[in-house]
Amino acid sequence: MNKVNGSRNKNKFFFLILAGVFFAASFLLIAVSSADDKGKDAGKPTAAAAQSGRPDKASPEDLEAGKAIYFKKCVWCHGPQGAGDGPAADRLWPRPRNFNAGTFKIRHTGSGELPTEQDLFLTVTHGLPGSAMPPWGGILSDTQRLQVVRFVRTELVKDRNFLDKDTEEFHVIDFGKQISTSADSLAKGKEVFMTKGKCVECHGNEGRGDGNKTQKDEWGFPIFPADLHKCWNFRGNREDPYNPKNIFREVSTGLNGTPMPSFADALSIEERWNVANFVISLCPKKNIDRNTNKPAIDFVVKSSFTQGEISGDLNSNAWADTEATWVGLAGQITEKPRNFVRLVDEVWVRSLYNDKEVAYLLEWDDRNKSVGPAEAGNYELQPADVKEVPPAGEPVAVKGGDGWTVFNDSVGIQFPQKWEALNSPEKPRFIFGDEKNPADIWKWDASGGVAEYTGKGIASPLTRREAQDVKAIASDYSNGRWRVILKRSRETGDKDNDVQFSTGKFIPTSFYAWDGNNGDKGAKTAISTWYYTILKPPVPSKVYSVPVVVVIVVIGIEFWLRRKFGKK
Amino acid sequence: MPIELILVEVFALFLFLAGNYFLKKVYGRGVSKFFQGVLLLIAAYIIFKYIIFPPIPAALLYTYMGLITLVVFLLLSTTDQSWNEFKDPIVKTLEGGSPRFKTIRMVTFVLVPVLAGYGSYNYMYPKYQEPIELRTVHPAPPASIQVHGSELILQKARSPFRVNEKGDYDEKVEDRYLKANPFDDKGVAYLKYVREGGEIFFQNCHFCHGDNLNGAGMFAFAFNPIPANFTDPGTLAQLQQTFVFWRVAKGGIGLPREGFPWASAMPPWEKHLTTDEIWKVIEFEYWHTGYYPRTWD
Repeated sequence: MNKVNGSRNKNKFFFLILAGVFFAASFLLIAVSSADDKGKDAGKPTAAAAQSGRPDKASPEDLEAGKAIYFKKCVWCHGPQGAGDGPAADRLWPRPRNFNAGTFKIRHTGSGELPTEQDLFLTVTHGLPGSAMPPWGGILSDTQRLQVVRFVRTELVKDRNFLDKDTEEFHVIDFGKQISTSADSLAKGKEVFMTKGKCVECHGNEGRGDGNKTQKDEWGFPIFPADLHKCWNFRGNREDPYNPKNIFREVSTGLNGTPMPSFADALSIEERWNVANFVISLCPKKNIDRNTNKPAIDFVVKSSFTQGEISGDLNSNAWADTEATWVGLAGQITEKPRNFVRLVDEVWVRSLYNDKEVAYLLEWDDRNKSVGPAEAGNYELQPADVKEVPPAGEPVAVKGGDGWTVFNDSVGIQFPQKWEALNSPEKPRFIFGDEKNPADIWKWDASGGVAEYTGKGIASPLTRREAQDVKAIASDYSNGRWRVILKRSRETGDKDNDVQFSTGKFIPTSFYAWDGNNGDKGAKTAISTWYYTILKPPVPSKVYSVPVVVVIVVIGIEFWLRRKFGKK
Repeated sequence: MPIELILVEVFALFLFLAGNYFLKKVYGRGVSKFFQGVLLLIAAYIIFKYIIFPPIPAALLYTYMGLITLVVFLLLSTTDQSWNEFKDPIVKTLEGGSPRFKTIRMVTFVLVPVLAGYGSYNYMYPKYQEPIELRTVHPAPPASIQVHGSELILQKARSPFRVNEKGDYDEKVEDRYLKANPFDDKGVAYLKYVREGGEIFFQNCHFCHGDNLNGAGMFAFAFNPIPANFTDPGTLAQLQQTFVFWRVAKGGIGLPREGFPWASAMPPWEKHLTTDEIWKVIEFEYWHTGYYPRTWD
């Protein structure tokens, strides 16, 4: 009897596992067949274009269809002749690619070689993060993307010919055996980064892209080495920013048209995997938003309570243990002077408070430290000498050259004055407030000064206020990163102009960053939308007591159930 | 529910039934009713939470889950036999009939209070999520607006560039030129306007509204609320051209109170663009998305 039961139970268990496998399989199928473009990549074009190396001659139908798509979707940036000079080009950074010379960054082929058709297809599908090139997967069908790629490589690549067997070769890189990441691999990777690979020369000591800052691309436009702490901005990296495979590829192929060379000969496969693992390890682990391919944004800066004095030590545990909020910055392009090329695209914000004071730690990457004379008096919003776009062909980083004035690196925090009086959604305009709802702006600049301003909108200059209470208790620039701590009393005497910090309330807060070497000043700034600061109140005791009551009640129910059924 | 969602659900259910049928056929026994119910619930949750993209709001997810639970119970209780089959393992567990069920009962009786305790702690622990601000996305437009010194009556105004080959106003002019090349010098006047509008769009608007007009421009991630998605049938296709003109000309600042004027980052473009330029951008947006503007009739 027992035996029979046992084998039946065994069978049952087996059925359950089988059912589980069925489910796993069905979800996989669903994931593949759902509207997501990932699945589509695995379909037709991969089969059609996966051949590594030389593509086939494009059919006239494909070219015609590709042309129609190009002139609807691509021409605005890449231009009617594919020369990277469409109407948007002058305001974009990096500029759109000029196809004419057949120079492409993201490839699986050797340095200087043309990409495979599949490479171009993947670039179009995933877009190029950190630039204006969007992912076209999900917008254009697989066939359409393939058609437009065929049109570009046939008609717009003018100086080279994909089909010419005498001049063009396609050497697809060898990935060898991937080395998974480990402490050992990271240490070896760092060693290569700092010495043999010479990566440090361009990408800087900490990999913030602050090594060689005055390089140009093949067309004479200024170009910066990548900031390796922002893997979400790596061009060939959409879909999986934390995958070292993409880094291995780029280290192996180099990026045609840029100063990034191929290390296929200089470094062994093993060394390249180690470097790739090291590079990925530099990027902070964030939850990536699938819509934007940037870290998912939490619009609340949570300020933690700290006993006693707020630390002015940038390396203290008090700050390191505090949650950092990632704040994405856009160029201020809606009011003149407009900032089309904003080089600071994020600020990491932390906050601490105690009984009397509140402080913010702001950290942001800036390849150049620019410090000039202190800015005094009225802060001009629209100085006549501020240019919106860098002079064509001139490196942004070159100080003062050719009418490109360099100002102080600065950072700002903005609050609504008297936010307590506003009805919930109502806020000042996010660019320096407005006439009806003025903003309280704290601005720190690299010459060392902190000033408080009242902003009444873009049309009137910021008014600098006397009775300054905000202090910069620490500031530091090293290896391409600024770190600044600003501190103020939570309550001040000037209740009309100064924001007042009470605990447990959502206080609208927004952030500015000016890159002095980018000619940023006044309204030419990088800006965030409204976030909120909350001074986290102490956790109420019922958070701990209620769960205990719940547990007791549940156990009680269990005893009752056991009695009721157990007696039978 | 979008059609894809229904298809995915049906597909999952079909796979489930097929799997069960296969199990029965080969091993003479399928998945027990109890686990069928549990698996269906878990499957539905996974689909709603992780597979559908873009994600659905939590409130909607709970509503769907509630409905599915109801359906599962209805299904399970259609016949006495299936209901008994479903509740049998539960009752046996509670009774602790055999040593195996005793073990299951012990594990469940320990796990349930622990999960309940953790769940209520997690629920009660303050999270400080951004306050919700519900706003009217398309508030009622005014009867007329002043732009560049002249009055525009929104019910009567028409885009001067929405013209056919003869130069007459034409509501459906896109029909013929959706696939045409606006950079073709021999194109008709309408396409020339589309091209000029596109140039303005790509010098000013695409940073936020995106190269695809889908609200996913390179600066869009920094904004809250995010920029409008013109490829969504809820925007351009629902609106009159004059409404769009009003929104472009006056920007976020020009919104009435219910639209939360200061929440939108959109500037009043009348400060940067002429009336004609605004009309051309609007022509471009309709041409590019392939939508027709709504008319007043």
